[in-house]
Amino acid sequence: MLRLAIGLCLALATAAGAEEVEPDDVGRSLRLPQRTEHWVWLNEPLLKHAKLLDGDSGEVLGIVDALGSLTGRHPLPCRERDETYVLETFYSRGNRGQRRDFVTIYDSRSLEVIGEIEVPPRTADVGHGLALGAVLDGCRFLVINNQEPANSVTVVDLESRSVVEEITTAGCALVYPVGERRFGMLCGDGTALLVEIDGAGHRRRLTSSEPFFDVVEDPLTEKGVRNGEQWMFASFEGYLHIVDFSGERPRLADRWSLFTDAQREQSWRIGGLQHLAYHAPTKRLYSVVHQGGKGTHKDAGNEIWVYDAERRQRVQVIGPPPLLAAFLRRMSGIEPDSWTAWLMEAVIPNQGVHSVVVTPDEQPLLFVRHRENGSAGVFDARDGTFVRYLEEIGLGGGLMVVP
Amino acid sequence: MSAIDRWTERLTREMARSTGRRSLLAKLGTLLAGGAAVPLLPVARGLAAGTPIHNQAGPDPELDGPEGDPTKCEYWRHCSIDGFLCSCCGGSQTACPPGTEMAPVSWIGTCRNPGDGKDYAIWYNDCCGRGMCGRCFCNRNEGDRPIYHPYRSNDVNWCSGASSQIYHCSTALIIGLAEEAQPEQ
Repeated sequence: MLRLAIGLCLALATAAGAEEVEPDDVGRSLRLPQRTEHWVWLNEPLLKHAKLLDGDSGEVLGIVDALGSLTGRHPLPCRERDETYVLETFYSRGNRGQRRDFVTIYDSRSLEVIGEIEVPPRTADVGHGLALGAVLDGCRFLVINNQEPANSVTVVDLESRSVVEEITTAGCALVYPVGERRFGMLCGDGTALLVEIDGAGHRRRLTSSEPFFDVVEDPLTEKGVRNGEQWMFASFEGYLHIVDFSGERPRLADRWSLFTDAQREQSWRIGGLQHLAYHAPTKRLYSVVHQGGKGTHKDAGNEIWVYDAERRQRVQVIGPPPLLAAFLRRMSGIEPDSWTAWLMEAVIPNQGVHSVVVTPDEQPLLFVRHRENGSAGVFDARDGTFVRYLEEIGLGGGLMVVP
Repeated sequence: MSAIDRWTERLTREMARSTGRRSLLAKLGTLLAGGAAVPLLPVARGLAAGTPIHNQAGPDPELDGPEGDPTKCEYWRHCSIDGFLCSCCGGSQTACPPGTEMAPVSWIGTCRNPGDGKDYAIWYNDCCGRGMCGRCFCNRNEGDRPIYHPYRSNDVNWCSGASSQIYHCSTALIIGLAEEAQPEQ
């Protein structure tokens, strides 16, 4: 009895001394923190959305929907307007009924939908999801690649939030911005096309280059990277083509091999989804490569080769992290520092990566991703040191966009 | 199936048989180059199929192993496919699953049949109108080309030619013998 009384007194004393947890407010939604250069958008085609992550912390910051396409079209960020655009397709009855396409406009800080622009229901839907739409420099105009399957582009005025014009681009597809009112395209006859619009967004001029590649024997992949008014495209056989859109007429400015003859004999090839990344301040080009035959141009790479693009020399090789093991560990709820995790990394084959992107700052991060399970990792792009996994991104998807 | 559909299908098959890959693609490219206002080749293959029996096609009896099994990625007709195999989704390599619609236009591959050593032109018509099947995903890219060369691109959602553009799965139909092997062969 005495013990019970003492215990009761102690409990009451403890309760009286402890501070109560304050009740929470109901109905709050966060805004994003101040943007850093190390953020990245990752698409998720099965969940039909894109996640925004912080490469420094590995944390998910927010999500936007991306409905109605094979890949979940990736967000198109605009820093000048602090807006983010997503091309979406909707059907009146879910997966059936009348099709309507929209540019959904998000506030880049709150991720609230703040508007929408209906566009012609012909927005291209392509498995790789790249270069299907782009915001031109200055963010006045957004250009959408249409395919029904004939090709055209829709020019959207983001200031008035209206469609300006649909321009037929017969035989040419994809959108590569090179200025405020200029963008490039690649064409089925082995040329590049420069499309210029006027101040109101109407067609001004379409100018083709001379043919400079063979679309059957050694085509350029669609997965180019931008350097100012030039775009770099790798061909299936591993030749980097630098296409200059700065003049009145687009032209092949340069072409060099990503592989030596000895490397070609060892069957090294480019491949993947976003298989190129370019860091302009250091002129470093990152290329996902593997050993394989013809027809493996979409295979994951088990190495990332880093080039000094100015000297055209390979300067480093980065080995991708075991993303599949990390994906399965996370899905199984296994702690990362456990023996089981170590065993999984030792036993489960490293499937390489399909995609790389690099942040544009002076302490750049290199993001890597495997498209079939969606898992991703982060390297220090300067020295190739592995930094962290980006965990539980989803179940698939290989696209990445640095906002 | 209308007379126009039958004529168009016969013409297309003849064209695929009698011309090389490059010239076939060049002609199709020319059709495309007509611009957005020009309707595309209206080959009503979905309608032509009538009402197939469930999984009527099945494995190739003369081929053992996965090369003869249309539920496997290694199936010989799948050399340039990118998508879910309709044979795993209630359909077959030649017919769509119940309730879905076969897109009338598609990309074209050239695959070698290990049974007779011959190269065949293959039409990878998508089945449309229902969400992704999600079974037996297969991505092989022999002969695949970028989307600016659309009739050799397996990345394009070819449901754009169907009444619903929602992709479900992909079939692999023989058009006929190809005169040229694909560049990868």
